[in-house]
Amino acid sequence: MNLLTHYRYTLLAIATVLLLPVMLSSGSLATEVLIFALASLGCNLLLGYTGLMSFGQGIFLGLGSYTAGLSLLHMRVPLLVALLAAMVVGAVAAAAVGWLSIRRRGIYFALLTLALGQMFYFLAYTLKDITGGDNGLLNIPRPQLSVFNTTLLPTATQWQYYGFVALVFVVAFTLIQRVADSVLGRTLLAIRDNETRAAAIGYNVKLFKLIAFTISGAITGLAGALYAILIGVAPLSSIEYQASESILIMTVIGGTGNLFASVLGAGLYVLAGDWLSTLWPRWLMLLGILLIVVSLYMQKGLWGLGAQLIDRLKPRRAPRDPSAVKRKQNP
Amino acid sequence: MTVAILEAVNIVKRYGKFIAVNGITLSVMPHTVHSVIGPNGAGKTTLFHALTGAVPINEGSITVDGVVVSHLPGYKRVLKGLTRSFQVTSLFPNLSVHENLRLAAQGRNPVQALHLWRSAESLTAAGETVDILLKRLNLSAVATRAAGELSHGQQRRLEVGMAMAGQPKVILLDEPTSGMGIEDIGDMKRLIHDLREEHTVVLIEHNMDIVMDISDTVTVMQLGQVLVEGKPDEIRNDERVRRAYLGSMTDGDSA
Amino acid sequence: MILETQEIHGYYGKSHIIQGISIAVDEGEVITLLGRNGAGKTTTLKTIVGVVPPRQGNIRFMGSNVAGLPPHRIAALGVCLVPEDRGVFKLLSVEENLKMAARKDSPWQLADVYTIFPRLKERRKNSGAQLSGGEQQMLAIGRALTTHPKVLLLDEPVEGLAPVIVNEIVAQLKRIKAAGMPIILVEQNLQVCTQLADRHYIIEQGRIVYEATNAQFLADNSVKDRYLGVNAAGAIYSQSNARQC
Repeated sequence: MNLLTHYRYTLLAIATVLLLPVMLSSGSLATEVLIFALASLGCNLLLGYTGLMSFGQGIFLGLGSYTAGLSLLHMRVPLLVALLAAMVVGAVAAAAVGWLSIRRRGIYFALLTLALGQMFYFLAYTLKDITGGDNGLLNIPRPQLSVFNTTLLPTATQWQYYGFVALVFVVAFTLIQRVADSVLGRTLLAIRDNETRAAAIGYNVKLFKLIAFTISGAITGLAGALYAILIGVAPLSSIEYQASESILIMTVIGGTGNLFASVLGAGLYVLAGDWLSTLWPRWLMLLGILLIVVSLYMQKGLWGLGAQLIDRLKPRRAPRDPSAVKRKQNP
Repeated sequence: MTVAILEAVNIVKRYGKFIAVNGITLSVMPHTVHSVIGPNGAGKTTLFHALTGAVPINEGSITVDGVVVSHLPGYKRVLKGLTRSFQVTSLFPNLSVHENLRLAAQGRNPVQALHLWRSAESLTAAGETVDILLKRLNLSAVATRAAGELSHGQQRRLEVGMAMAGQPKVILLDEPTSGMGIEDIGDMKRLIHDLREEHTVVLIEHNMDIVMDISDTVTVMQLGQVLVEGKPDEIRNDERVRRAYLGSMTDGDSA
Repeated sequence: MILETQEIHGYYGKSHIIQGISIAVDEGEVITLLGRNGAGKTTTLKTIVGVVPPRQGNIRFMGSNVAGLPPHRIAALGVCLVPEDRGVFKLLSVEENLKMAARKDSPWQLADVYTIFPRLKERRKNSGAQLSGGEQQMLAIGRALTTHPKVLLLDEPVEGLAPVIVNEIVAQLKRIKAAGMPIILVEQNLQVCTQLADRHYIIEQGRIVYEATNAQFLADNSVKDRYLGVNAAGAIYSQSNARQC
């Protein structure tokens, strides 16, 4: 496989990052697209790769925000340390949430993540001294990217911060794509396809699910940290149920089983939300309809739709083996 | 005298008051095909689940090549050399045939599967096993097709292949010819028969033709216990076996 | 013939369980489907009622082809399956179970079922979960009768029941047969089969390998061994063994 094909998704990610400033006038909005693309990647690793529908991604997003906020406000740590701390907290929390939820499958698993999400929300609400409660953590500083007092990258303006987040995003995307393509990623795909079979050939399914959860938590925590630094606040809403729901919707609409699809889903959600919400306060209804359409007819999401269109435009190939059975849809 | 490679001693499995398996002892000799048969309600399926680790046993022990596996979960038994196939085809339908087998071969070294950095192709040992397997299973031509697209006969062969890939000592096959057309059954017979060279096979089957033709030993179960055990010819003509299958019928006893 | 299958094929996914089965039952006739475990007897019944949609072949019921119809339509036409697990609604009482699908035009009304199975009358307020195996079976058959069936399909009606109950049920089945009801019986208990049936079919690996009248079946000792015992002698491979009528 030549280099171009091998890294095609990374190239798409780079292309996206370069395209956004051209398309949008608001640096803050562009940054938001990338941040939620990261969160959606984390969710896709669980849903599209391992087959786990988690209603608790908001936990890690919120914890990432709080961790970054607290470490920057009270401990004045460098930018990268704040991000790292957020990833660690996200990973640890995900390991804990995962360990509890993985004991059950299907709808009970989903309900457990939902319940734990609510628990964390109420903890954040109650521990006002730490989290700022309803108001959230305010006045979070945005340090430059610097090493040993030399500024590598300024982050003060919207577009400067966008540049930094874009860098983080591309690096993160490449790493996550690598994990998805690795032996681990392939094993996760197998678990999603047929968990019983995976166990029967020797895999400790619970352990693999836990690992997927931990990685997902780290990525989502990173997204949360970047978000808090973007808006200067670690809001309660990041850990609220609605955040979990939005992340899940983005991932489903974008399409599972392909990481770049998550970027599409997040992009649509954030941009549509920004654009439509000024036109029509009930814009979420359109999103709801889109979600229904995707669930019923386009289970591969927007990415799948795009792939189908491209397929139709390609010249006809040789007819397939007539004895081949129609391929099942990949949900 | 050779030592049994799979030893199930005094297995008891209760479901509340109902005793599904009531003290079964099974000794399977290496490099043989050992079939377990019995009329309806004999407890064959429960015994099978106990051996694969799908249900925990109440009493008794299960040993594979000297290693006790009685209370290990199913996935751990694979590392001890015990694999299984499923009666209702259970493959990875959206993955290619090659990938299905690669995963099964990799399952022998599941720690390697934790590599989040290396690609699957870089772990070449598994890859070689897969190529050899594809030839044996006569599936080389469809290696890149999704497993869900194969014909039923091909899928059933892949089922057995998944159990073979982990280089097991003992393979437990659950009705491998289930739902197969006559054309495919011949291939399956040969495949199972050839397995005994490198492995040991425990077979649950309803197709008596296959059972009698390729088994070295046949164990007949009835009502959760071993009724008779012996070579196919002995079992064929055994009066107790005849009564077990038909006797519930000729004298009106309910099973 | 009230019900006739013509070379039907039934699959579970890709698993080709029923590989071309042709059987027929006439008014007042009882036929049995015999065979070892896994042969396809239950699946044949399920294919007839449409739970397993037949992929090939016809099912002629009272002159028209019902293959491909959804199961509730086939049941409404009068093809009534009493499944192996009996399907008693455990949360409902005996009487509620019986009244559920009862039809006013059925020759068997609630009172008639209570006459045939007095035990059900005694237990009529008990929930389905509180019944013994035999009582559940009686309930399942009684419930079937209230739906005005034109043909009954019984899957292992006396499995696991004490001999006394078995006799009771067999006696009632004889009466139902005498009333003209065609019955397709899947049963492992040969004594019950030979008491009730006019003809026998033996299924092996999804195909009919033997068909005979009750008298012929009783007289033939080797057939039981070959198809129902363990004395398979390459039977399924030779076509000449099929259809000894």
